[in-house]
Amino acid sequence: MGTVQGSTQQITLSRRLSGIARYVLLAIPLLFLAVFFLLPLGLTILVGFFERAGFWIRPAFTLAAYQAFLGGPRLFVLQRSLFVAAEVTVLALALAYPMAYFLSMHVRPQVTRTVLLLFTVPFVVNYVIRNFSWAYLLSRTGPVNRLLEALHLTAGSLDWLLYSDFSVLVGLISSYMPFMIYPLWLALAGVDRRLIEASWVLGAPPLLTFLRVTLPLSIPGIFTALIFGFVGSFGESAVPIILGGVGYQLMGNTITSALDVLNYPLAAAMSSIVVVVMLLFLAAWYLLFDVPAFLGKIVRWRV
Amino acid sequence: MDEVAARLSRREFLRAAAYATAGASLLRLGPLVSWAGAAAAKKGTLSFADIGVGDPGGDWSKFTNATGWGVNLVAIGNAPSQILNVLIAGGGKGVYDVINIVGGMQKPLVENDLIIPIATSRLPNWGKDAYISEFLSSGKPGFEFIGYKGKIYGVPTVLQGDSFAYLPEKTGQLDSYAALFDPKWKGFVALEDNFTTAGQKTALYLKTNKLATIKDPANMTPGEIRTVIDFLIEKKKEGQFRVIWTSFEQAVDLLTRREVYVMDCWEPMVFAARKKGVSAVYARPKEGYLLWAMAAYIVKNPQRPADREKGAYDLLNFMLDGWYGAKITLLRGYMTNPQAVAYAKANAGDFSAAEAAEVARIHDNVRSKFRLGGTWQNRWPTYVEQYESEWARFKAAPSK
Repeated sequence: MGTVQGSTQQITLSRRLSGIARYVLLAIPLLFLAVFFLLPLGLTILVGFFERAGFWIRPAFTLAAYQAFLGGPRLFVLQRSLFVAAEVTVLALALAYPMAYFLSMHVRPQVTRTVLLLFTVPFVVNYVIRNFSWAYLLSRTGPVNRLLEALHLTAGSLDWLLYSDFSVLVGLISSYMPFMIYPLWLALAGVDRRLIEASWVLGAPPLLTFLRVTLPLSIPGIFTALIFGFVGSFGESAVPIILGGVGYQLMGNTITSALDVLNYPLAAAMSSIVVVVMLLFLAAWYLLFDVPAFLGKIVRWRV
Repeated sequence: MDEVAARLSRREFLRAAAYATAGASLLRLGPLVSWAGAAAAKKGTLSFADIGVGDPGGDWSKFTNATGWGVNLVAIGNAPSQILNVLIAGGGKGVYDVINIVGGMQKPLVENDLIIPIATSRLPNWGKDAYISEFLSSGKPGFEFIGYKGKIYGVPTVLQGDSFAYLPEKTGQLDSYAALFDPKWKGFVALEDNFTTAGQKTALYLKTNKLATIKDPANMTPGEIRTVIDFLIEKKKEGQFRVIWTSFEQAVDLLTRREVYVMDCWEPMVFAARKKGVSAVYARPKEGYLLWAMAAYIVKNPQRPADREKGAYDLLNFMLDGWYGAKITLLRGYMTNPQAVAYAKANAGDFSAAEAAEVARIHDNVRSKFRLGGTWQNRWPTYVEQYESEWARFKAAPSK
């Protein structure tokens, strides 16, 4: 009896300890999140309502910074940032998905590894150098224009290749598409082949199999790729400066510009709006795609 | 300014220069020289924050041998926000003894209690610097680059006048800022992304040619700024501008690739383009130049011992002497102080005949710019926020 009681107490104690350990382990990332994300974010939102006092700021509750942003030319920059980020994400996804599909379904693993390794090259080349390379390639006297002229496809150099919406798209897609390839490939490589085979056995043609089986099962990867592409290109500041032409700006550039004249409330207000917009998009995606359900399915396939 | 670079405008280049200095430190080049100097430093090491222009190739031995003080050069950015953040939020008041930045920052620096007035009597070289009395003395526009409310806070380390570059092979000779807005060069013009340079040069052009009523291009009213920006937006819509550049390399690249024929920029970019075989010319506009100067300030620190403060003054004095001036002129292409020319000529051990001639040529060139005049760049105009927001309006405006 005493032995049973003792072992029961031991079990209770070990359960308590494991419960405490679980909370401690959970507290570490939560603490990290609170200190390095939530606290700065809270301060940023707060400063957006402060008022300027000479070179500094004074605690207050004023909407002046928000009025300056929403009532001025910078609102156009926000609209453009959202549009460009969406455009880049869709185009990059249209390029990345077929590649990822091909790599996961129709290529030997050794070749896949090599190709995926090649997609890491952009990460080891400095992004400024990469963008300057685009500026050289797309310039009036650059190789692309020369090639087009040599092939008699154009009579003179094409001005719109550089310092234009086109060059910004090229720069952003080349910067963020590699980030999108990996989650897509992972999702597609994780699709249970037996489900595809079952679809064929049941008489579904390849396109229908793709639409009914492969595509839905790869949605978690698509979702992740969308986040990588959209968030990255939305916050980009180097590409617009190097490839964008006459004052082409995205939100990162205009926030920096406000900071240069110490307009912290305006910079904070713009940053707050950007964060809120991003969180709204994430929430919409989260609800729309029901990610946990899909992730749950992946887990179930594995077990 | 050297051929190193980074972000916006002069701010950009200067930040770039700072990056280059930091890069050199990372490569252990700076520290090696600094440590060599520090080895001879008996009194300690002065902390010198600089934007990359005031570094004499890492060689402070002449200063260290003469004073017993070593110099630890730390790279900082040149944007007003960066400087204030470094000195206040970054605890720079307790760290740095001297900061060397583009002048004209006295208002924010003094009002935030970050720098101290300079006792010029403690600088033997001050009186020998004829450029100060000629261009920067009280009552002259240049005073705003070193002084504030009648007191002197900065020691001028370099002086320069900016205009624009062009490619004569494409444009012929140009002598007016009108070239930046001439439809003949539509689509082949670039501006700097900086309201206190490109904006002020535009204001100078409009005022001089009686195209707009602007009392002082160096310190415009909100209405005057709006007029300048309206004009620029009109030109932007016509497709006049190819790009707004933001870094030294980008600007040089625009010239060397002949992407543009006329470009609002700084003279070192022309030197860099010429080295790459492009016959670029730096214009001598009839409207005059955008004049500016760099200044070294003593950071306010009530805890600083008297001997360290003397060391800071010794460093400022050293920056006004011939060897340092000649060295900086050769490295960056700017006018420094009058002793530089004579020193370079008289000290063949330090400077070759060709180098001495180059120092003299650069000084003559910059002096002629100052004689011609123009407008002094204003780093912190009264309505700086309007400048920034109007410049944002220009950048956000649609192109052709």
